[in-house]
Amino acid sequence: MTTTDVPAAPDRRARTPGGATERRPRRRREGAAWVFLSPWVLGATVLTLLPMAVSLYLSFTDYNLFDPPRWVGLRNYTQMFTEDPRYWRSVRTTLLYVALAVPLQLALALLVALALKSVKRGKGFYRSAFYAPSLLGASMSIALVWRAVFNDGGTVDNLLGTGGWVNRPGWSLLAVALLTVWQFGAPMVIFLAGLQQIPPELYEAAAVDGAGKWRQFVSVTLPMLSPVLFFNLVLQTIQAFQVFTPAFAVSAGKGGPADSTLVYTLYLYDRGFVASHMGYASAMAWVLLLAIGAVTAVLFRTSRSWVFYASEGDR
Amino acid sequence: MTSLTVARKPVRWRRVALHAGCLAALLVMLYPLAWLLATSLKPADEVIASLNLLPSRLEWSNYSTALEGVNDVSVWRLLGNSLLIAGGAVLGNVLSCSLAAYAFARLRFRLRGPLFAFMIATIMLPHHAVLIPQYIVFNQLGLVNTYWPLILPKFLATEAFFVFLIVQFMRGLPRELEEAARIDGCGPFRSFFSVVLPLTRPALITTAIFTFIWTWNDFFTQLIYLFDPDKFTLTLALRSFVDASSTSAFGPMFAMSVIALLPIVLFFLAFQRFLVEGMASSGLKG
Amino acid sequence: MPGHRTKTFRTSAAALALCALLAGCSGSAESADGGKVVLRYTWWGNPDRAERTERAVALFEERHPDIEVRTSFSGYDAYKQKLATQAAGGDAPDVMQLDYRQIDQYASGGVLLDLAQQRDALRTSAIDPGLLATGRVDGTQYAVPQGRGTETVVYDVAAWKASGVPLPREGWSWDEWADAMRALARKTGRPGSVDPGQSEDAFEVWLRGQGKSLYTGDGGLGFTVDDLTRWWTFTDVLRREGAVSPAEQTTQLDGSVENTPLGRGTAVSDFNWDAPASGYAALIEGGVALGPMPSGADGTPGQYFKPSMFLGVSADSPHADAAARLVDFMINDALAGDILGATRGIPVNETVRKRTEPLLTGFDRTIADFQDSLEGALEDPPQAPPSGDNALQTTFARDYDQVSYERMSPREAAEDYVTEAKAELRS
Repeated sequence: MTTTDVPAAPDRRARTPGGATERRPRRRREGAAWVFLSPWVLGATVLTLLPMAVSLYLSFTDYNLFDPPRWVGLRNYTQMFTEDPRYWRSVRTTLLYVALAVPLQLALALLVALALKSVKRGKGFYRSAFYAPSLLGASMSIALVWRAVFNDGGTVDNLLGTGGWVNRPGWSLLAVALLTVWQFGAPMVIFLAGLQQIPPELYEAAAVDGAGKWRQFVSVTLPMLSPVLFFNLVLQTIQAFQVFTPAFAVSAGKGGPADSTLVYTLYLYDRGFVASHMGYASAMAWVLLLAIGAVTAVLFRTSRSWVFYASEGDR
Repeated sequence: MTSLTVARKPVRWRRVALHAGCLAALLVMLYPLAWLLATSLKPADEVIASLNLLPSRLEWSNYSTALEGVNDVSVWRLLGNSLLIAGGAVLGNVLSCSLAAYAFARLRFRLRGPLFAFMIATIMLPHHAVLIPQYIVFNQLGLVNTYWPLILPKFLATEAFFVFLIVQFMRGLPRELEEAARIDGCGPFRSFFSVVLPLTRPALITTAIFTFIWTWNDFFTQLIYLFDPDKFTLTLALRSFVDASSTSAFGPMFAMSVIALLPIVLFFLAFQRFLVEGMASSGLKG
Repeated sequence: MPGHRTKTFRTSAAALALCALLAGCSGSAESADGGKVVLRYTWWGNPDRAERTERAVALFEERHPDIEVRTSFSGYDAYKQKLATQAAGGDAPDVMQLDYRQIDQYASGGVLLDLAQQRDALRTSAIDPGLLATGRVDGTQYAVPQGRGTETVVYDVAAWKASGVPLPREGWSWDEWADAMRALARKTGRPGSVDPGQSEDAFEVWLRGQGKSLYTGDGGLGFTVDDLTRWWTFTDVLRREGAVSPAEQTTQLDGSVENTPLGRGTAVSDFNWDAPASGYAALIEGGVALGPMPSGADGTPGQYFKPSMFLGVSADSPHADAAARLVDFMINDALAGDILGATRGIPVNETVRKRTEPLLTGFDRTIADFQDSLEGALEDPPQAPPSGDNALQTTFARDYDQVSYERMSPREAAEDYVTEAKAELRS
């Protein structure tokens, strides 16, 4: 293996459009693909597709977990859209949350990852320390810590004089979002791993061409990092739409005060497991799936113009 | 931005500023952790009520209570169970997700597009909606109250998050690598194991670390599937200190969460350094 | 028979799964060791309750060498979720601890066994008939109460006494209570009580004091928008006056005593059930005492002895007989009673109670004395609430949040609640 070819200077010598050059091995490779895929296929069928199908079916039923599901057609959906003001409140709350948490968390994660890349001494220390909050998850103890720090007379109140956040409807969602942002370790590590994957030769080449730091960032780091940036963006967006644990933790499962942290999935949980309307909860889940699907599709569509894959050699 | 250090004066300056910035940020970041630690040593009447960081006196008995374990199950047993589950999950995820990711990223097969879309879609359904159907499946298989429902799914690449993660990394590798391997006579399996996998190491380590931590902290699945207290994990046990219908023991609960934190801290410390060596040491540079 | 059709659904859902997955890889926990009958028994509680329960179970196993009992427990919220999943998955444990609010749902969903079938193994004659009746749904005994509790005004003794405000006394009315809260707020500078407006339980006591109830006998709503508007107006006024806790504190209630205004030392008293009230004792320097709940204006008592927990047997249990024996042992056995003490409330078996009560110490003693002081003065408990109540309890607190954050008037919130309640109870 002596490839030092630099993918940023796309050398298209061996491009194989559509794999057309390898006619003979194609069938064998197709077989190989299914071998690689076999565990996934099994899991996706039994543990994912099947339960998903069941939940789709349940979304058209009245199902209280105990009695057999009763077919009600679209009633759950119409009820959700037309008769449930709390549902719409949860939609608004979730959108606000996504708009708050995703950009903040990604920006912070990228910033810290870049800073850590420049740090020479104590790299391991910094990386570990910045990751430390993410080790906790939103456990019950961290929930209690959060509620103390953001309470009346808590640290944040003392520093900023805003009063508590977790107990004021105008502020509580911010406290929830900050809990997510605080645990930016996962996207940070992914950024770091992505940064590591950028061949140093590219920077050397760019430096030889006389590119300054900013120029290097724009023309080397960003394009080379774009698949990972895209990954983080897509995943954090999906996860933000499904946010549950931080809201559950901060509000002790209630979505309060005054429903201000009752995000979509928390309300779904409340309907399904507290109120035992699993049919309704399933309908909510499928609406969410479609909504996230639409957003993700848009992200994928735009990705064609800004995500750069070395393996494809061009955009 | 790598500082391609051509020794110039402003560089030292910038380095100091960088460290100062990082440390200041850390101070804020780690404050809640300090709170967690401090609370684990607070006496019962201060655990919740006090809004001071420091306890008025150190209540070490929180730790001795936590170390007694729960319901006649020792902390070591709980720890062992947690390790077993998390370890199994790491192995499963790294293996199965990288296999699936390779197919999606590098091989061509019919239905690749739709299957990939389906895989991404599986991340989008809130897991609460499939909880009960999944439980029914495992119950019918007779696997409830075993560790299989916690580990088996990982061997079947059900966590699309990681498949997608590894796919993104593999797509970042230049295709020429495998072509070179193919010219050398490697089939897809050889080139997967000896060319692609080593180069994906940062992603695999990332997968391992996240899987370990997330599995460790996954209270919900463990709660649903485990019945016997001697199969319980640390994460499950620490919750049993808190019960709204009787007297809770928040102090020991905090102590237990600090204890439960230690193994994941160690795991992270042990593996985080492998995140550093990306391309540099993985054979591409040659 | 609904239970059967549920099973058809479960089976067909799982059949697909089975086709796809290799049927082998068993690791089933069901197989009994050495021909022993294996029972699974779950409850919620804390480590202390776990320890006592284990000892009682060990004694049971000693008496019945052919039965092995596997126990499991978790905190209340986690337990509810886990049990619901198990029940929905057709995997309910043989013996399960149940809450008042769960019984209707689990019984009508076909999860629970009709205990009359096990009349010989499970004796109920020593239980107060009024209490025993709470375990019935549509005339069938599905669950047996284990212990009883009652609501109480729990207060910071030192602070209340120092204020000079008259202490809670039997038969006091809600108006007298309100005056006391105002006086406490004036004298101590902190709210007299947590705002009871968010609590469906407190509302029920208030309703019963007027001869009404949360639910009618056939599971309908037992009160009107006007009733609820009056209750929320009553508490809303007190909140605005500062006599009860402000919204910012009330909203932080999460069920634990630590997160109440009384537990944090920002209020003088609280409404709670008597058993969890023991938690305050560790938090408040001068200790706490238990006072009776306020009554209706004409002295009608609103509070009642509520079965604190029930035991039920799974309808699917292959060992219903052994399961019934275990329930019988936990409730009726004298030695088991000695071990369990008051960990699940004051025992409901009269014989066991008379034997156990003198042995109680500490806060259990306080609870027993408090209950003794009410003995004979209270009316029978209502029957188990209809299943929709599970959802309504949170809705109640949520709607009151809208009142206390002044986003809705008491009437608007009450209308919201009643509309939702009617829909919930219909379905």
